Amino acid sequence: MAYVATRGGEKAIDQAERLFRADLGTIDAGRVEAIRQSMPYLVDRVMGEASLYSEELAALALAQTGGELSEAVLVLRAWRTTQPRIAVARPVRQGELLTQRRISAAFKDIPGGQILGPTLDYSHRVLATDVLEGTPFVPPPVDAAERAAPQRQPSLADWQRAQGLVAPVDEAKVAPQDIPDLTREPLLFPASRAHRLQSLARAETGGVLALGYAAMRGYGNAHPTVNELRLAEAEVVVTHPRGTQFSAGRVRVSQAEVTSKEKGGYLELGYAATFGWNEVKVIAAATLDLNSDEAPVGSAMHEEFYLYHTESVEASGFCIHFKLPHYVTFQSVLDAMRDAKAKEPVATAPAEELQTEPAE
Amino acid sequence: MFNDNAGGGGEHAAELNILARARPERLKALAETVLDGMDAITVVTNRTGLVMVPMRDTVENVDFHLGEVLVSEAEIADAAGTIGYGMVTGRDLERAMAMAVIDLRLAGAGHDDAIAAFLLSEGAFLAAQDEQRMRQVEATRVEMETF
Repeated sequence: MAYVATRGGEKAIDQAERLFRADLGTIDAGRVEAIRQSMPYLVDRVMGEASLYSEELAALALAQTGGELSEAVLVLRAWRTTQPRIAVARPVRQGELLTQRRISAAFKDIPGGQILGPTLDYSHRVLATDVLEGTPFVPPPVDAAERAAPQRQPSLADWQRAQGLVAPVDEAKVAPQDIPDLTREPLLFPASRAHRLQSLARAETGGVLALGYAAMRGYGNAHPTVNELRLAEAEVVVTHPRGTQFSAGRVRVSQAEVTSKEKGGYLELGYAATFGWNEVKVIAAATLDLNSDEAPVGSAMHEEFYLYHTESVEASGFCIHFKLPHYVTFQSVLDAMRDAKAKEPVATAPAEELQTEPAE
Repeated sequence: MFNDNAGGGGEHAAELNILARARPERLKALAETVLDGMDAITVVTNRTGLVMVPMRDTVENVDFHLGEVLVSEAEIADAAGTIGYGMVTGRDLERAMAMAVIDLRLAGAGHDDAIAAFLLSEGAFLAAQDEQRMRQVEATRVEMETF
């Protein structure tokens, strides 16, 4: 493929950007704060895909891109590169999560019980059009229980291991600073499990859903049942210069384990997690993880396929680059076409007329 | 919350946990009064940056990177070389500095009545907030029956 530099249009380009920004109007701190407060799930989705946790910056990115999600993720990923990495936190373990929602579709009576948390799972989805008629929607208050739920819930997978249902595993041995990191090294295949899970954590929600859904509908080998789904907050545990470990704050996270069938005497499990509360993404991603190992090369469940194609910035960037000038490439297509036409016998001309006027 | 952690003493961890989540305006106001009684300090660092958060996969116990959290960090020292340190999630350099000032005061003086009262009241406020949230969460506990 050949490229050529183009010149011109500076004024038009400048005015085009002005037009885009003028349509969005003045962006002030109030607008950013309104987005942050009123759209936590959208903010969560953007933070997850940007793999940068800052509600304030994610809301700002949404404000200045008018909610164009791939642009919002792009500016956040770009801004991220301006910041030094100060530390690697202590790895978050499931049993430490401050859990607000924890359900299992596979086991009715899990240790710690099932907690629905904030969800619309069992609710009618009805648009509150009264709001548009001037009647504000005021949510009915929660009838809080007498006693609080425990902040932490045990790991279901560990309980299943104790029952002999899930394969035993070794203790994690990699020091935090040695964990493979996609932001500093390329994704190569076969990918390490650390790369696969990091890539899924920052994957584009819609892309992961589409490919995960394909697996669920039957293009994959394993049909998922949710072993455990959690929405929680994780403490960001860092180390004081004097050695004290403490939490610098909390971040919202989602985790899903899905299971399908017995394999080698144990339940097969797939896993995924992400920043923010985003159930669809982690269930779909865990389904891809579950299907991955037996997936044929080239299928949508093969890791090379789903990891490459759900990388938000690369995918959207590649897609939209096709609208940028490709004059030389396209010129060569036209040249070849004209050349071929010039060499065609006159007798084929009527057929060509039919092809060039499909609307008739 | 991390009182049982090894590495620097339970009390220090408990103090830092409260300071990092304390309401910013109250934290900054306390730091202002603490600063008034302090000798000159040196600012070693006061910046925003990222903390990478790894998570442990429950299927194969593999640690992987979930993503980076924006944090604000401050490190200060007094003439004797005692360090004060603050780190909070989010973009608020003043808040990190306020935490470092209070941490330095505690490290240097061992005890401060105003800070002790602040830690007690903020600790109670945060615990009550958590308690209220988890009582709401408990209301969503579900007992499933199969037919």
